[in-house]
Amino acid sequence: MLDRRQFLKLGGATAFATLFGGCDKVQKKLIPFVIPPENYVLGEALWYASVCGQCPAGCGVVVRMSEGRAKKIEGNPLHPVNRGKLCARGQAALQALYHPERLSRPMKLSGARGSGTYAPISWEEALSLLMAPLKKVKAEAPASLLMLTDPIRGHAGLVAGRFMKAFGSKHRVAWDPFGADAMLSANAAVHGVRDLPEHDLANARYLLSFSGDFLETGISPVHYAGAYGRMRGDRETIRGKFVHFGPRLSMTAAAADLFLPCAPGTEGIVALGIAHVMVRDRLTAASSAAGRLADDLAAYSPEEVEKKTGVHAHDVVAVAEEFVRNQPGVAIPGTGAATGPDGAFHCAAVALLNVLAGNVGKPGGVSFPNRTPAFAKYGAEASLLAPSPESGYAGVREAIGKMRGGAFRMAILSGATNPAFTLPPSLGFGEALSKVPFVVAFASFLDETTSRADLVLPVPTALEAWGDDIAPVGHSGAVTLCQPVVEPFHDTRSMPDVLIAAAGELGGGLAKALPWRSFKDCLDQAYGGPGGGMETALQRGGIFGESSSTQSPGRTASGVLPKATGRPIEGDPKTFPLELHLFPSVTLYDGRGANLPWLQEMPDPITTAVWRNWVEVNPKTAAGLGLADGDGVTVTSPSGKITAHVAFNPGIAPDVAAMPLGQGHTRYGKTANGRGENPFALLPAGETYALQATRVALSKTKLPARLVRFANPEGQWKISNLM
Amino acid sequence: MSPKWAMAIDLDRCTGCGACVVACVAENNIPVVGEAEVEKGRLMQWLRVARYWDGEYPEAQAIYLPVPCMQCERAPCETVCPVYATYHNEDGLNAMVYNRCVGTRYCANNCPYSVRVFNWYDHKWEKPLDEQLSPDLTTRSRGVMEKCTFCIQRIRRAKETAAGEMREIRDGEVVPACVQTCPPGALLFGDLSDPHSGITRKLKDPRRFRLMEHLGTEPRVAYLKRQKGAGR
Repeated sequence: MLDRRQFLKLGGATAFATLFGGCDKVQKKLIPFVIPPENYVLGEALWYASVCGQCPAGCGVVVRMSEGRAKKIEGNPLHPVNRGKLCARGQAALQALYHPERLSRPMKLSGARGSGTYAPISWEEALSLLMAPLKKVKAEAPASLLMLTDPIRGHAGLVAGRFMKAFGSKHRVAWDPFGADAMLSANAAVHGVRDLPEHDLANARYLLSFSGDFLETGISPVHYAGAYGRMRGDRETIRGKFVHFGPRLSMTAAAADLFLPCAPGTEGIVALGIAHVMVRDRLTAASSAAGRLADDLAAYSPEEVEKKTGVHAHDVVAVAEEFVRNQPGVAIPGTGAATGPDGAFHCAAVALLNVLAGNVGKPGGVSFPNRTPAFAKYGAEASLLAPSPESGYAGVREAIGKMRGGAFRMAILSGATNPAFTLPPSLGFGEALSKVPFVVAFASFLDETTSRADLVLPVPTALEAWGDDIAPVGHSGAVTLCQPVVEPFHDTRSMPDVLIAAAGELGGGLAKALPWRSFKDCLDQAYGGPGGGMETALQRGGIFGESSSTQSPGRTASGVLPKATGRPIEGDPKTFPLELHLFPSVTLYDGRGANLPWLQEMPDPITTAVWRNWVEVNPKTAAGLGLADGDGVTVTSPSGKITAHVAFNPGIAPDVAAMPLGQGHTRYGKTANGRGENPFALLPAGETYALQATRVALSKTKLPARLVRFANPEGQWKISNLM
Repeated sequence: MSPKWAMAIDLDRCTGCGACVVACVAENNIPVVGEAEVEKGRLMQWLRVARYWDGEYPEAQAIYLPVPCMQCERAPCETVCPVYATYHNEDGLNAMVYNRCVGTRYCANNCPYSVRVFNWYDHKWEKPLDEQLSPDLTTRSRGVMEKCTFCIQRIRRAKETAAGEMREIRDGEVVPACVQTCPPGALLFGDLSDPHSGITRKLKDPRRFRLMEHLGTEPRVAYLKRQKGAGR
């Protein structure tokens, strides 16, 4: 029965419909003004804290929200890693969130396997497509499930780890092309701690870098750039001096007071030369390490070092003396040194300098902050939440072999490290993956890897998901919390959520291992949930200010001189005259940033090139090869062949050709595709993973495109004015 | 007293990483033009990090110089605009009135620092990338000149907040996007009319210099030279 009030309401509605029903320009989205949800207050910006997911450094961010949309990302000023700062890649995370090619719905393979053609489906259909083979594999051969991800930190790692364990498969593999394997094994050998150290640049008076890339793409670039700035300018009377050894004048090397080029793959020898002078001239306090090492170091006299590395003997002596005189000083190895065939040797030699200088555990030196207390309550499972930051190459290689042998019936892929793009193609990852009968990928974008899946499930970006994280360095024991700072823009579900739901459906031990309703529920239980202090933590972006403990180095210096394996790099010097030096791109990292237009259009710091790949050579070397700046060349290694444009770098060793990684995509959308070729293709598929692993030859080639560079439009000022 | 906004760029801290460039693009609705247009010199970024080479191997050096608009006190761009589209505002900034601009490009021609960029097209944001556009400022249309504003929208917001709370703007309350994000802290922004502000103190440094000082443009952006050696 209608009462008067309802009658009037209906009457009004009918009148409205009659009046405006024919109008086809009806406003579709009205923002109600009566009680606006807090995200829709017009003109009022709100900031929410979360974590940046653009690289593994784990910086805290705050996101400016206006009218329900994310407008700007800034560093979280409370976060110990980045202290309110953010790099170019972090700033560009917004473009990943609102990317036109982002996957908005689950997709089912519609063409041939590996064709990358998909048809959109509903989540119900997607989950039934996922569950059917999962149930079958669980019942028949649970060990034939493979999970290949990037290193997952926080409770998402716990969910993934427990899922695989309870499922009955030990094939959980994580892949990170810039994993810190060499540094980890070097620290285990020298310091007795298999972890990443905190290099306290901010309090150092002297900084020795060995192919360091800590300002651009190293383990935590924003963290170390901040510390570098404080080292230079925050103290009244002290300005830290920075000396860089390496084969290439990189962005980090350009910041150095003194850049001393050394032959590629000799960083460790230079370090031992400095150690030799320190011990020979009794520059350090007579430590037990110095005594034990004296004999072994005899082979690394400055003259011998000059012969092997090209660094002048007097420079080695001068740097050693300055290093000792200006303590606390710290020595830091970088990707260029760590990813050679002898990476562990180089890193250990550098670590030895810190031991000899006596700065381990001191301000301005190296220390090993402990990550595990944050997750101590999980006992043995804590390593699932704070996994070791290694590349996982051995595991991936083994998995590829098994895939090829048909050992896996199903594979679950996730993460941004894109193995089909970042692994040497001769490993045959793509072809091996096609031997797995059913492949499901959790992804935001189709790329070289995910476009080979049978089922692609769209995930929220780091700005739309619940989660937690602990940074590899600079964390001070703090856990970062992430929350959906924006309403999920697409119909996405996170991998932990899907795994928890799947475990519930599979029942039994799986349901017991993952007893939560959702991933949010898991985090609520871990961090006290609403009313239990989690709101404050979410507001601040994490749990900061906890007292941080440091791991005491097990044995301060084993006293054993690191041994170089002397493993030669691929290629005969006669046919392949130049050593290939591959480095992570400042903008594109391992290639994951290549689909973001802001990053493609940011000029590279060294070459000022945009939108395309290049190969850096010394102008004199190029002249000898008849190459001019901007010429097209074919870069040939024993393992592969690609084309690129020549870009002169006047500060690169004459026998080196350097290429940035990240370009050369073929299936990563229209922004990324067709921007040069992939330098990972030049790498050999050896037993160990190395980026500085091969020699190359350059030969002039005509290329259709040109390398565009952003020159200095105002012409040349006198450089002496700037120094 | 109206503020005198100024920026200090410490070249001893700058690492050339380009975070400022992308932060500026994100804050100011700056379009992406693509490879072909960059080749024609039509990159729209308001802030560039110029890189200079000095010396030869093995003594080669690269030096970075971030160049935003200098916000000159005696700006050469202002005097040549026939329609007063670029003018000196009450805070001493070289502001642009986009609606007045008729696209003569005289201002860009007369700018010794080449920091002005011109909209040769109506730039498009492919959907849904336009969801990111900041509501605080417009996108610019074809035929209009634009340049770094010292993030004037942030200055306005801070003024309004301060006025609402009946107080003066605090030192450090206003930071342009580039200054906010700079990882090594090479950029500093503040009010020169406040004798106690961080920037006033910073610019007493003897390393201070300004770009093309001999032209008499009196830039509001000052640089601090790189230092040498371990001590001060």
